[in-house]
This record gives sequence, structure tokens and C-alpha cells, in this order.
Amino acid sequence: MKQSNNWYLELLLGMRDMLPMSVAAATYGLAFGLLATQSGFNIFQTISMSALVFGGSSQLVAMEQLSIGLGAASAILAGSALNMRILLVTATMRNVLASRPWWQVGLGTFFATDASVALMQSAKPRNMTTSYWYFFGGGASLYVIWIAVTAIGALVSSGVPNPQAIGLDFAIIAIFVATLPGMWRGTKDVLPWLLASGIVLIWGTLFPEYASWGLIGGAVIGAICAGLNNEH
Amino acid sequence: MNIEIWMTIIGLGGASFAIRLSGYLLASQIPQDGMWARALQALPGCLIASLVSLMMLNGTILEWISAVMILAIAAITRKPTLAMFAGMVIIAAMRFAIA
Repeated sequence: MKQSNNWYLELLLGMRDMLPMSVAAATYGLAFGLLATQSGFNIFQTISMSALVFGGSSQLVAMEQLSIGLGAASAILAGSALNMRILLVTATMRNVLASRPWWQVGLGTFFATDASVALMQSAKPRNMTTSYWYFFGGGASLYVIWIAVTAIGALVSSGVPNPQAIGLDFAIIAIFVATLPGMWRGTKDVLPWLLASGIVLIWGTLFPEYASWGLIGGAVIGAICAGLNNEH
Repeated sequence: MNIEIWMTIIGLGGASFAIRLSGYLLASQIPQDGMWARALQALPGCLIASLVSLMMLNGTILEWISAVMILAIAAITRKPTLAMFAGMVIIAAMRFAIA
């Protein structure tokens, strides 16, 4: 466990390094707010969903299930299926959360998103890979921005410029693609990454409605492949 | 509809937190070295590679070109934020050019 007297500096660094991911997520949050209003959610319901679920694609799918009349159980199941990948995200945060008090583990896992994995790339050169407050700062700042932009999206249901025209819809893909080179650990990653991507692409093509399960399968099988390789 | 919305919000919120907590609790049972530890170290890269593949699955040729260019910029400059904004400009410019 990393102990530091400068926990607030680590927290601020995490917030700063999360900014690019926050910009990307903000476009998604704005879209959720807009769509939620159009689907019959009021402002309190829109904000509550973002505050409690904190998962873009999961929120969108659950909302879609409700709007086509499939009911709450179906919406919860579909939304949970999409959020299953976060299980892998918090698994990667083991060293960050180890030996922390239960409330810090609870908060740390609550703020975990795909962006937390992307933040690991920024954490490496700063020697912050096990800093709880670095990841807490990043996660908490993304959480506040996520709630703020969904509220803005819900309030201004018109007058928002066409996101496609200025490339905003591509921001979320762009930030994760840009993160990849920093995740690269050398040739030992070739096979696991190819395997992970291949499984996602084949599964997603064959079973488009269950594509998110391909993501989980691809990531897990890719990681197991890396684990089986003894090369260091 | 109103009660169903609230049931979904509370139910999905609880399920999402349970999923998040389970990931850490499961991983904390894994030994610090050996095969599973190596797998856990490789998991972030595999997860992002899978996520990008899923996002690009239904991408157009313009999105694939932009993604390759972002990858090249990020690999050369090691500045993901710069690569992200460059990618957004590239795709917006290509869309404008073919519109």
C-alpha cells in the first residue's frame, strides 16, 4: 500500500490526468441527458440514474428497455449485463485498494469505470499505480462531471450543436484508442491483445445483440493467455 | 412508467455497485505471483484492446482511418490527449470533405 502525506496532491493529479477522459465522457453524458428527457425521464430521475449507476452504455440500454415497454426487470438485467465488464476494471485495481478501510474500498470501487483503466497509463510515469488518492481523485472528478453533463443534457433538450459535425461523437473512441500505446508492455502483449480483439470482433459479428459478453470473454481469455506465458 | 423508472434506477444502481465490489473481492483472492497474477497484470491492456475492438465493430471506414491515425500519433508523441483531439479534428474534417 502506498502511504503518502501528500494525499491531496495525488488527488489533484488524478483529477488533472482524468480530464481528457472526462471531456470524452461528457459528450456521452450529454447525449444520455437529452435522450432520457425524450424517453420520459424527469430531471430528478435522470440525475439519480447517473448518480447511482455511473455507467453510460448501461444507463442507455436500461432506458431503451423501459421506453419500449419491456419493464424494470428486463432493464435491470440488460443494464447489469453491460456493466459486467466493470467487474474486470475493479479486479485490475486490486493493488490500489488493498489494505484500505472498508469505506475507502467501497468508494474506490464505486468510482471505477473504463476510464480508471485508461488512467493507469497516466499513473505509470508518475509512479502512482498504487496510489489510492490518485485514482479516487480521477474517479470522483469524472463522477461530478458525469452528473453535471447529464443534468445539462436533460435541461437543454434543444440548441445543442450537432455532435457529429465537430467530431464529438468520436471522442470516447478516440481517447481509448489513444490510451493503447501506453498500455503496451512489449511483444509479450501481441498474442493476448490479438486474441482479445479477435474474440470481440468475431463474437460481435456473429451475435451483435450480445456483443458486450464478447468484450468480457475477449478480455478474460486474452489475460489468461498472458498468464500462461512465462516470458518476462 | 414512473414507478418502473425508479425501480430500474435503484435496482440497476444496486446491481452495478455489487458488480464493482465483486471484481475487487474476487481479485483479492488471487495469489500475488504465478499464472493468475500475470493474467491480472495483463488484464488492463486486454480490456482496453477489447473495448476499442467493440467500439470499432460497427465503425465506418472514416472511423477506422481516424483510429489508425490516433494510434500512430499517440505512439509517436506519447500524448494521448493530443492524439484524442487530433482524431476528433481528423474525423470532423473527413466528414466535412465528403458531405
